[in-house]
Amino acid sequence: MIRKSLSIATLAFAAMSPAHAQESDDLSLLVGIWAVEPLTPWVEQFTEETGIGVEIQSFPFRDLLQTIEVRGSAKADDVGAIFVDAPLVPSYAVRGLIQPMAKYLEGADLEEIWAPATVDAGSWDGMMWAPPLNNSSQVLYYNRELLRAAEIQDPSSEESGRITWEELVENAKKITDSEQGIWGMVFDQISRYYQLQALPESAGGGSGVSDDGLSVEGMLTNDGWMKATQFYYDLFNTWNIAPKGIAPGQTAELFAAGKVGYFVGGHWNVSAFQEAGIDFGMALHPYFEGGTPVTGTNSWHIGIWGHTNRADEAAQLVKFLTASPEVALDYTEKHGQLPAHTAALLNIDISPKYNNMPKAGMKLATYEAANSAVTRARTPAFLEFEEIVNNSFEDIRNGGDPATVMGEAEQRIQSAMRRYR
Amino acid sequence: MRSDKHVPYLFLAPALLGLVLFRLYPIFLALWESLFVTGFGPAGGRSFVGLENFQFLFEDFVFWRSVKATAILTIIINPVQIALALGLALLLQRKSRNIRLIRSLFLLPIGVALPIATVIWGLMLNPNQGLINGMLDVIGVSPQPFLTSEAQAIWAIVLIATWKGVAFWMLFLLAGLEDIPKSLYEAIRVDGANWFGRLRYVTMPLLRRTLLFVLVADTAANFVLIVPMIILTQGGPRQTTNVLMYEAYRSGFIFQDFGRSMAIVTLLTAITLAVIALQVLVLGDRRGQDK
Repeated sequence: MIRKSLSIATLAFAAMSPAHAQESDDLSLLVGIWAVEPLTPWVEQFTEETGIGVEIQSFPFRDLLQTIEVRGSAKADDVGAIFVDAPLVPSYAVRGLIQPMAKYLEGADLEEIWAPATVDAGSWDGMMWAPPLNNSSQVLYYNRELLRAAEIQDPSSEESGRITWEELVENAKKITDSEQGIWGMVFDQISRYYQLQALPESAGGGSGVSDDGLSVEGMLTNDGWMKATQFYYDLFNTWNIAPKGIAPGQTAELFAAGKVGYFVGGHWNVSAFQEAGIDFGMALHPYFEGGTPVTGTNSWHIGIWGHTNRADEAAQLVKFLTASPEVALDYTEKHGQLPAHTAALLNIDISPKYNNMPKAGMKLATYEAANSAVTRARTPAFLEFEEIVNNSFEDIRNGGDPATVMGEAEQRIQSAMRRYR
Repeated sequence: MRSDKHVPYLFLAPALLGLVLFRLYPIFLALWESLFVTGFGPAGGRSFVGLENFQFLFEDFVFWRSVKATAILTIIINPVQIALALGLALLLQRKSRNIRLIRSLFLLPIGVALPIATVIWGLMLNPNQGLINGMLDVIGVSPQPFLTSEAQAIWAIVLIATWKGVAFWMLFLLAGLEDIPKSLYEAIRVDGANWFGRLRYVTMPLLRRTLLFVLVADTAANFVLIVPMIILTQGGPRQTTNVLMYEAYRSGFIFQDFGRSMAIVTLLTAITLAVIALQVLVLGDRRGQDK
């Protein structure tokens, strides 16, 4: 929360000084704060090779999105390229916040350079808008000590033994000890669509948006979504096996402190859990009995800023950062992120160092990304969709009736989508 | 002679210019922008839609929930803050040995920025590991959900805003109390009035103007209170803290629907002015009554 308030201050500062990059001739690159360290040497190399100066401007996650909106509203031409969250590609494309990359990639076989699912995520309307920098995946972590104490077997990392949500709930009930503050399970990105889309998708409910991306009518209240949201309600309000009142970002700390049996979360947590000294294992992501295994995926892409008048130079930078195998290998190593580039994916597959922890977690994540990953809803109204769905999940966690909450969410999103039709 | 008549206006001009630029212009700008919508579909772009944004608002249940949340917050927070500010001012008016130190202690929250106060209160009100539930546990009260409860979230917001704001409003009331001539208290004491009598017949009538100012300023400030909503509740649970100002912020800065956002701001401005007009009408000076 402290980070959040500082973030608001950062955002206010950014909004007040929209032209602070105009003082130099450098091309501005708007990135997430986490990417500064691994990308800086490569940006410097790009400058060396091309003579194009680049100024990296970094922001925390939410501030990055809001800064892009503020700079977009001001039609600021002092930005060259931006980080693009994968599901926002259609929204940015439709609203002119990014320019198509297609002409700069003419003749290239995109699926040879990047994993097909990430090519899809960076495309809209049949062309590439923002190539992927990296990818993401979700796995199941478990606390060996807590599972042993409750006489529960470790979940499997083999497809044939993938644990179901139903089994996980029964086990989590045995682990939960409210007196000691021990919880059966917790989600990493709690009440966020990125993580929770896996529930309705696994129950056959779909992404929540129609194929043309312009309607949610009946899509958030179908049987699959109702099963998933009722399940989410029960975790916190009926079975009481997961905690209320903690935010995404705090849940990993709870698992690292040894207070949670199962942690459904991103593969990037491995190092932090190892540093915490907790005895943990990793397994395949749960699914609903009779349903399909589904996991969240996609991550950050880079696009040419829609209002820049230096598109050619920006495109060179975007290509250099996303399509160079050297950058992809290094970014995966340093940032611990799942790669989108095929060269880095191949490296994970064949390099012996990915056989041992913590890097072994990357193999599991690569398996999920290749076999169970589902792209988030494709809609130009994703900003509105995600905000309202996230709030609805949070309302359900706090005890709201799933049918009422999702019915209202449907109405609100449907109304917000009118501007895109 | 003629030029003398214009001198006061010349002195007033900078202030009037500021008023027009920073008060009236934004209000008219909001009204103007509320008549447009920016679409992204095949027939996209910015287009004039007249009062359509208002029509959509009146048909939107989210807007009416925001009106309700704003009304509830206004009805609770303003009387609570003013009653506490007045009570504190009366207590701290007394002359005693350490009164300066005690006054300073009460003024401390003014020095804490609202976002920081909000973050700290958010940690204390955490239903799982928060300090407040820890204290309630000591006295045998079961843990409370606070910000995660539809029934309690608005009260938690009132608590945070009051902790932060009450000392600020108390300062004005304290200044108003210090302005009341001591001779009046002595006179009424001679007439045999007790503490309540002094409050009823001297303090309250002579504090009326200060109280009216505090009431109007506090009401206006609370109509635009959104920091705790941005940081802690995002308008939830179930939109119970989704006040009009937060809904306008969300429409404008998250959904980029500036037409809707400006329509809400226009209505909120109208509501604020109406409430303040009512307060002035009911509590303002009545000829002869205060004399």
